[in-house]
Amino acid sequence: MTCPRCNSEDTRVMVKSPVGDEWEVYVCNTCYYSWRSTETPDIHDVFKLKPEDIPNLQVIPPVPPLDK
Amino acid sequence: MAKVYEGLREFLQTLEEEGQLVRVKDEVMPEPDIGAAGRAAANMKGNAPAILFEKIKGYKGKVVTNVHGSWANHALMMGMQKDATTKEQFFELNRRWDKYPVEPEVVAREDAPCKENVVDENINLFEILPLYRINDQDGGFFISKASVVSGEPDDPENLDKMNVGTYRIQVKDVDRIGIQALAMHDIAVQLEQAERKNEKLRVAIALGNDPIITFMASTPIAHDQSEYKFAGALRDGVPVKLVKADKAEHLYVPASAEVILEGYIEPRVRECEGPFGEFPGSYSGARNQCVVKIDHITHRTDPIFENLYLGIPWTEIDYLMALNTSVPLYKQIKEGFPELVALNAMYMHGHVAIISTKCRYGGYGKGIAFRLLSTPHGMPYTKVVIVVDEYVDPFNLEQVMWAIASRVKPDKDVAIIPNCPGMPLDPSSNPAGMHTKMIIDATTPVAPEPNPRSVELLEPPVGTEKWEEILRDLMK
Repeated sequence: MTCPRCNSEDTRVMVKSPVGDEWEVYVCNTCYYSWRSTETPDIHDVFKLKPEDIPNLQVIPPVPPLDK
Repeated sequence: MAKVYEGLREFLQTLEEEGQLVRVKDEVMPEPDIGAAGRAAANMKGNAPAILFEKIKGYKGKVVTNVHGSWANHALMMGMQKDATTKEQFFELNRRWDKYPVEPEVVAREDAPCKENVVDENINLFEILPLYRINDQDGGFFISKASVVSGEPDDPENLDKMNVGTYRIQVKDVDRIGIQALAMHDIAVQLEQAERKNEKLRVAIALGNDPIITFMASTPIAHDQSEYKFAGALRDGVPVKLVKADKAEHLYVPASAEVILEGYIEPRVRECEGPFGEFPGSYSGARNQCVVKIDHITHRTDPIFENLYLGIPWTEIDYLMALNTSVPLYKQIKEGFPELVALNAMYMHGHVAIISTKCRYGGYGKGIAFRLLSTPHGMPYTKVVIVVDEYVDPFNLEQVMWAIASRVKPDKDVAIIPNCPGMPLDPSSNPAGMHTKMIIDATTPVAPEPNPRSVELLEPPVGTEKWEEILRDLMK
């Protein structure tokens, strides 16, 4: 299964519906996008990600230096 | 003494009795129904109700949304009549604010409803919370109305420095969530202390609370002021009931909460989070943000998941952040400038603020604006300050526009201050976190500033009040 946002193939079933066999939720192990089987994700181009760009996203909050 | 609520359930009962809560009994889909209903409630304006979804496909529990989402619900939260005006609610909050601090009451574990059930094995958030996507382009399912409790690593026993804040939370796994801790927020100060030592920061996340606690969790107060002690003040002096967290002895959580998620922020870890439809009415994009591992949950039996919708203003979050932004800013300025009459900072969490003040000497209006821009919240958030005379009601936008129309000489009354702090989520902040400030001084000049064309204000004709009554009667 391909992540609809970053096209990574490293995705998995996160959870199945607690009641009945109604849906599953999937998650991408690369960009953490998640979606339900009852949805049809339509990611706007502006929100698409390339896996190689993820490390360069802004870091919030910045990681401080370790105390010496 | 004002009416207070021991928990969300008591408040929902009052909302229902007052006609301010509707139940959706038919089964709904998690997406898009719950988000769409939140938007629809906001579109109703006026007395929009809270919406309780009783059956959600594939889930056990219930969801309630729009609990704070109208001035009627906001008034009932404070135990006021549901038709109380915004200005009346502002001044009532101001009155109660002065009761700070009200020491919380710590109850025994067995007396705390939030401890009725314990889960510390095979944790699965979806078993307890009917999670859903709020807006279509959100990067996942978000918890938008949590009260996140965290301590000060360098001073863990200090209750005043214990922080209770609302931060957006993205569910990343059945027991793992992302959390947004912006550098300006108190939790980021605490996180930095922990991360410098490469230590975990324990958190307890309270969901479904007494509406005053949720209100205080999104109120900007000083780092060493206690949200819980303020909640007691806003409950008109009635203490909030707290109980110790199970896995972090130094943290206290609301005893009546529906759900408590306990866990820790993984030190020095950042992972892709977002986008999320945010309070400016637009999405904030994907960033690398903090991660919380959940290792213990307690909850009431049949917990109700309270969450809020955010969209183009106004939606529930705008009601929640309206007066709780205005009142602390008013108090901080009033301390040094008693001429201040009222302050309306209800627009996008205080990005635009209107100050009503009497001017003691020339230039006073601009001076008061600078004071607002130097408060801890105003410094990053507020970018446009409008100052009006003491007889202009800052909550009456028609009057504010009249003041600008009749008082402002742009070449002397409008000041632009470049290269100041900004709020990163404001899409006009560039680079994110930097901004320009604008002051519009719509006050009447006082000496030594010259006022070459002073005016006499129109007074209401004698008998106006009597005629107001007559007209009201004729309209019945």
